[in-house]
Amino acid sequence: MISRVADHCFWFGRYVERAESTARLLQATRTLVFDADLPVTQCWQPLVIVSGEYPSFCERFGAEAVGDGERVQEYLTWSPGGVSLVASVRAARECARVIRDVLSHDAWEAINELFHFLDDGVSPKLYRENREGFYRRMRNGTQLTLGLVRSTMLHDEPMSFLWLGAMIERAGQVARLLDMHHHTIAQEGAQLGASAQTHDIVKVALWLSLLRASSGVEAFMKMHQGRVSAQSLITFLLLEQSFPRSLRYCLRSACAILRDIWPPLSGSASEHSSQTRLAALLAWLEAQTFDGADIHALLTHVVDETAAVCTLVSTEIQGPPRPPATAPHAPAPQS
Amino acid sequence: VPLTVPTASNLSLLAKYRPLDGTWDELVAPDGTARPHAQRTCALLNAVAATEFARFQSLAELSLYNQGVTFSVYSDQRGTEKIFPLCLVPRVLGAREWARTEQGLIQRVHALNLFLDDIYGEQRILSEGRLPADLILGARSYHPKLRHLAAPGGVRIPIAGIDLIRGPSGELRVLEDNVRTPSGVSYVVENRRVTKRIFQHSIEMAGVRPVEQYPIELARTLRALSPVDPDDAHTVLLTPGSYNSAYFEHTFLARHMGVELVEASDLYVERDTVYVRTTHGPKRVDVIYRRIDDAYLDPEFFRPDSMLGVPGLMGAWVRGRVALANAPGNGCADDKAVYPFVPDMIRFYLGEEPLLPQVDTFVCARSDDLAFVVEHLEELVVKSVDEAGGYGMLMGPQSTAAERAEYRERILSSPRKYIAQRRIELSTCPTWDPAHNELQPRRIDLRPYVLTRPDGTWVLPGGLTRVALVPGSYVVNSSQGGGSKDTWVLREPDRTGA
Repeated sequence: MISRVADHCFWFGRYVERAESTARLLQATRTLVFDADLPVTQCWQPLVIVSGEYPSFCERFGAEAVGDGERVQEYLTWSPGGVSLVASVRAARECARVIRDVLSHDAWEAINELFHFLDDGVSPKLYRENREGFYRRMRNGTQLTLGLVRSTMLHDEPMSFLWLGAMIERAGQVARLLDMHHHTIAQEGAQLGASAQTHDIVKVALWLSLLRASSGVEAFMKMHQGRVSAQSLITFLLLEQSFPRSLRYCLRSACAILRDIWPPLSGSASEHSSQTRLAALLAWLEAQTFDGADIHALLTHVVDETAAVCTLVSTEIQGPPRPPATAPHAPAPQS
Repeated sequence: VPLTVPTASNLSLLAKYRPLDGTWDELVAPDGTARPHAQRTCALLNAVAATEFARFQSLAELSLYNQGVTFSVYSDQRGTEKIFPLCLVPRVLGAREWARTEQGLIQRVHALNLFLDDIYGEQRILSEGRLPADLILGARSYHPKLRHLAAPGGVRIPIAGIDLIRGPSGELRVLEDNVRTPSGVSYVVENRRVTKRIFQHSIEMAGVRPVEQYPIELARTLRALSPVDPDDAHTVLLTPGSYNSAYFEHTFLARHMGVELVEASDLYVERDTVYVRTTHGPKRVDVIYRRIDDAYLDPEFFRPDSMLGVPGLMGAWVRGRVALANAPGNGCADDKAVYPFVPDMIRFYLGEEPLLPQVDTFVCARSDDLAFVVEHLEELVVKSVDEAGGYGMLMGPQSTAAERAEYRERILSSPRKYIAQRRIELSTCPTWDPAHNELQPRRIDLRPYVLTRPDGTWVLPGGLTRVALVPGSYVVNSSQGGGSKDTWVLREPDRTGA
């Protein structure tokens, strides 16, 4: 497919996934504030940090504002730039316009309606009057879009690039999500093996909010029957093969898609290709044990490596560097 | 079958409708009765109450908005998107009238194709003195560099849009030819889709010819131009990008033909072969449906100062390695100053009398015409020959003295750039007026689309009916408050033979 279009498919997938993830994180943090007896700053600050918006947020509102949940929500929902919900939906829709000819009509309509909903006067009203309803609507809109992509488009290259973008974005989001509260996980990690499994209510609330933020509460409980610990949580979110929001699942999917797009025999799977790099990251992750590991360092490595893979993909999308030799000229017709 | 029964408090749509004096109305005769060919349509409309119609209108607009059937407005830097407003009252053309019109369109496009072949070939029409040579050869739209080059595929105007209007006498006549990159056809197909959803029953009852096959016919027309076997031809649609005002149409046509939508930067030329950059390396391109102007096709050929375009593209075209639709250089056939000579072209190349009349035109390049025009600006519509979209126009009867003085200056300083016509009382069609919740006469035109292949011509039944939504306005352009209507060409002549 056309390189420019492939690139926009990739970014469309990323932006839609990012919008969904931001809505999800905001929702989960709102619940956390109610459930955990934590200083509000400890609830909202990590969210601003993992979104990568901490410096610009502090510059605009001052460092103490990170405890102001309303301010944080406002910023991560409506600010015109950065990773805010509005910015992600706008960017997704802008990409969708460029790839309008490869998107299915249904998928286009879904993202276009979501965009118009945010651009019209209706959405601020819903935001003010029914915050949960607003975030739900945002998540439904993005999920509908991605769902329609899978159920109404040809499962060929455009969808592969789109889904690759979504999977890589999701992998990065899982890593950031865990990193958000890595401190509590690290503390718990140090106590692991100790007899006392008396997690205080705060930690459990935090972990549950992490699971909620990744829609993983039920899936986790099915596997662990209510036994919530830092170790089981981390293992679940990082390694659970059958959970579609675990890091391993996302990286595996991305690897498979890359192999599909550029079969290893095609010659593009060189030592420095995105495929090789991603496969190495996956192998590295699978070899990790999490007892006493430096979770923050591990997650930072994951975030850095996925970013590097993205850069490689953008280059590879441009196709092999040299055009093939052309056939000798046919005699030119002249009048 | 009535959809609802109108009550006294909720009058039927056409009950109070009266055409304007001295103006032809497409559906309603001066006495307020339905015209013969529109009887069934008017009966169907009358079965709808105004309140219900208002609801249909807003449903239609919402549907177009959500689906992104929009155009971008140039005046806005960020490219605001608007829907092209659709009035659900259709414009109806009888079967007989359409059959005659179709023949006239085919004849005209045929002559224009022959004219371009001649102008970029022997120039017989000039050497035999049938057309003033300086008018053509001095035009900005004429490219001397393209002389003696055959167009790959053999058809210079595979896609034409011929603007027709109807004056008070009731006869359709040609107002303008568009043989470069005529736009608007996507709205024809989309309007029908929306109208069908809302008035499915009516369309069936009225016996309307379908328009959905346009993209298929277009794809076939493009393939037929291919320098390689049409079955193996790789066709792309070249767009200026997502900020272009017609971007929706570009994506629409690409999707419905199943061809790739490319931008100039996706293409490159090596050894006179055009390639598109793909994720698996370069892929050869054989046919390009380009929706960009000549000037931006190839900087090496047309505009050395331009960064836009595909360097070497014209070299590939010149050597017959890629087909371009429409061919470069077509501008000298739809130049407004050349338009007055099209009937002569038809006589010269085909030995036939033109089947479609056109509008009498003063060509300011001719000194008699110039003298008349500058003295009678108040009665005339002055048009700049190289502007479109309703820009660069003076509507004499509605103009101020200052505007006329300004145009007089402009015309006298470069007469070649202007033509003038008497204002035609464009025909009207009943049109929904949301401010008053009723139907009002609004002026309309018609742009039929003509596809030409080496082995034949196909005309889309009907075309794009544009309507001036502003009361009293004569300007139907989307950029200036125009909207559109579904155009119904009836299958069967009615009993009176209309």
